[in-house]
Amino acid sequence: MSKPEFVYTTYIETTPEKLWHALTDGDFTERYWFGHRVASNWKVGSPYRFTHPGKSSPEGKVLVSEPPKKLAYTWNGCSDETKREGPSRVTFDIEPRGNVVKLTVTHDNLDEGGKTFRGISEGWPMVLASLKSFLETGRPMPAEIQSHAA
Amino acid sequence: MPRPEFIYVTYIETTPEKLWHALTDGNFTERYWFGARLRSDWKVGSSFEMVRSDGTVSDAGKVVEVDPPRRLAYTFVNLSDKYRNEFPALATFVLEPYGKLVKLTLTHEGFAEDSKFYSGISKGWPAILSSLKSLLETGQPLEIPYAALKFEN
Repeated sequence: MSKPEFVYTTYIETTPEKLWHALTDGDFTERYWFGHRVASNWKVGSPYRFTHPGKSSPEGKVLVSEPPKKLAYTWNGCSDETKREGPSRVTFDIEPRGNVVKLTVTHDNLDEGGKTFRGISEGWPMVLASLKSFLETGRPMPAEIQSHAA
Repeated sequence: MPRPEFIYVTYIETTPEKLWHALTDGNFTERYWFGARLRSDWKVGSSFEMVRSDGTVSDAGKVVEVDPPRRLAYTFVNLSDKYRNEFPALATFVLEPYGKLVKLTLTHEGFAEDSKFYSGISKGWPAILSSLKSLLETGQPLEIPYAALKFEN
């Protein structure tokens, strides 16, 4: 039985460099990722960690770091329950397409029927919709939407 | 053994009424749908067509559900030779208000296991719905080169 994977593609009017920056810079992620700041030196093997006051956030290890084309990291979930499922993997593929950028997020190594899979299937469309709005309009989406799914 | 359905969710800063208009008005779809105008009177059972800029029909099917501004469903299949053995599959749009946003969920289902049309729509929807979100939020659609979707054959 193959393990489930979640794949989501979006197209954003930006450059690969700006998108890379948006994915890896804490000041940026805080604005569109509903308050979660990311920090890492983004070297392969290094840890990364999201932080959010009063909330638990994902963390893990950098697996691939090829700016501005490919970023991959392990993903240890936010709650005790999802952490028990063990680390999954997130890969961002960034490809220029004319004057827009195609972003494909693949989240795999997930447990069948696990809480992580359900959570990230709800979460990625929100985070990536907010990222797209932020890069195109300068405004992220209101954080209130996250309360519907948390 | 049927294919699993294709599901795409996005959130758009707009109203359900504007999003409904964007999904059903041919002048509007032409701007974000790679030039395709949707043509229908949007009554259940009526015909549904995608019309290219040269006036030819690329895709056709039937309207299945119309509940503005909440649910819209229609079947369609591309009329080109490479899909000639395929049946129209069902695309359902669900629009839900989410504070100042609208959550749009597209479910496209009813494909045969070996459906080529399924791989086509899997590439097409993320581009079309990304461009729709941009158009509603910024006033401008995306300029995604059609060739960039890399359809096989």
